[in-house]
Amino acid sequence: MEAEGVHHSYGVRRVLRGIDVALPAGSVVGIVGENGAGKSTLLKILSGELRPDRGVVRHGGRFGYCPQQVVLNDAFTVRQHLDFFAAAYDVADLRRAEEVMEILGFDQYADVLVGTLSGGTRQKLNLTLAVMHDPQVLLLDEPYQGFDWETYLRFWDLVGDLRVAGRSVLVVSHLAYDTDRLDQVWRLRDGVLHGRQEDVR
Amino acid sequence: MRLFKIATRYGLVEHARNRFAMLLVAVFLPVWVMMTGWAIAKEPVQFRLHGTGHVLTAGGDKITQITGALNGVTLITGFMMFAATFSNGAFDRRLSMAGFHRVPLGLAKVACLVIASVVVCSYATAVICCFWSPRQPVLLGAALFCTAMTYGTLGVALGTLLHREVEGMFAIVMISVVDLGLQNPLASGGANSDMVRWLPSYGAMQAATAAGFSSTVPAVDFTVQLAWFTAVGLLGLLAFHRRTRSALTATVQIGRQTDTDLVPLKKSANR
Repeated sequence: MEAEGVHHSYGVRRVLRGIDVALPAGSVVGIVGENGAGKSTLLKILSGELRPDRGVVRHGGRFGYCPQQVVLNDAFTVRQHLDFFAAAYDVADLRRAEEVMEILGFDQYADVLVGTLSGGTRQKLNLTLAVMHDPQVLLLDEPYQGFDWETYLRFWDLVGDLRVAGRSVLVVSHLAYDTDRLDQVWRLRDGVLHGRQEDVR
Repeated sequence: MRLFKIATRYGLVEHARNRFAMLLVAVFLPVWVMMTGWAIAKEPVQFRLHGTGHVLTAGGDKITQITGALNGVTLITGFMMFAATFSNGAFDRRLSMAGFHRVPLGLAKVACLVIASVVVCSYATAVICCFWSPRQPVLLGAALFCTAMTYGTLGVALGTLLHREVEGMFAIVMISVVDLGLQNPLASGGANSDMVRWLPSYGAMQAATAAGFSSTVPAVDFTVQLAWFTAVGLLGLLAFHRRTRSALTATVQIGRQTDTDLVPLKKSANR
């Protein structure tokens, strides 16, 4: 995935002022920054959800995106979500999705209506929908909100597995203690990414 | 075709879980039609069929039951489609960005609307038939169906364009009330004027009244209603297209991996 010269403004407020990103294969990169720095805006642009005012974003291969706000349909069960997205991704079966559910510890909710699930379990499904097709590039916007500590650790184990498999993962976070789990940390400040060469491992 | 079937199946599942809409269909329609039949005077009123120039004379209660049924089906399908579109805009977009083609996704919404409209309008026609015998009940049902489709697509368009739920609900109620109130000869002195030709349920009201009290086949009126459905439907599809499109400059393959390149997870939970 590559992005070149991405600019974006909300009215007169310039949020992104020239972002260049090239995500290396087999790496876990974090983008940190204060609230309102533009992290989610950047991820929306990288995922194609938002059109930048200027700049280009290119994707190659399978790609997954876990938005910060849970995007689910309360009228469907967990399994119906998986079926629906399996059709979207054109994957043959739900084996991988079921593996992820097991890792995140919510496989017992497969036939439960999403509208009745807790916030943390909804977030687990939100994440599962982003990774169930084994994406080569994965964009995660604060994907562990509402997770308990055990699930939080399992999430990072899952990310570690993806790294070993050669997948690229971009995680947006505002938590400083996540940074030791990342290969690189980029800080978004004043609309520009800083410290892009920083290797924290 | 497979994606269309999947999206239609899940669309119907979602509509079936909309219990308030189910309650409206089951209770509101017969109560509304029954109350108009009881409360409105039976004195004959005149209603002009613009397509043929004939002036019909029918009981005020029966004509009001027709406008009441039209009002009921427009509100139900309008609300159903608005609620589904409004609450699932982000979900549809996520599905689309995950690789679900938008054509079968959009067509599935139309298919769900057709099925819902057939059920609701058959029920409304049956309710009317419990009170009196329309001359052409099938055509009466078809007229109700056409306006239900029009308001259903209006619900899709409003659900995509508006930002607050109350705005859409208010818009659907007011459009339907003004639309049908102006065409009821008991409620409006201008019901027989040329101005009503521009209202979104004009074709359906003309066709339904002709079906109820004459042997005329109101082909022109159905065409007018079809034109309204087409125009509102195109607006809805355009709004749906804009809402679900990806902003990426180059479209790439999202899914479609094979077992050979699917990397197994290590069951981290068991570590």
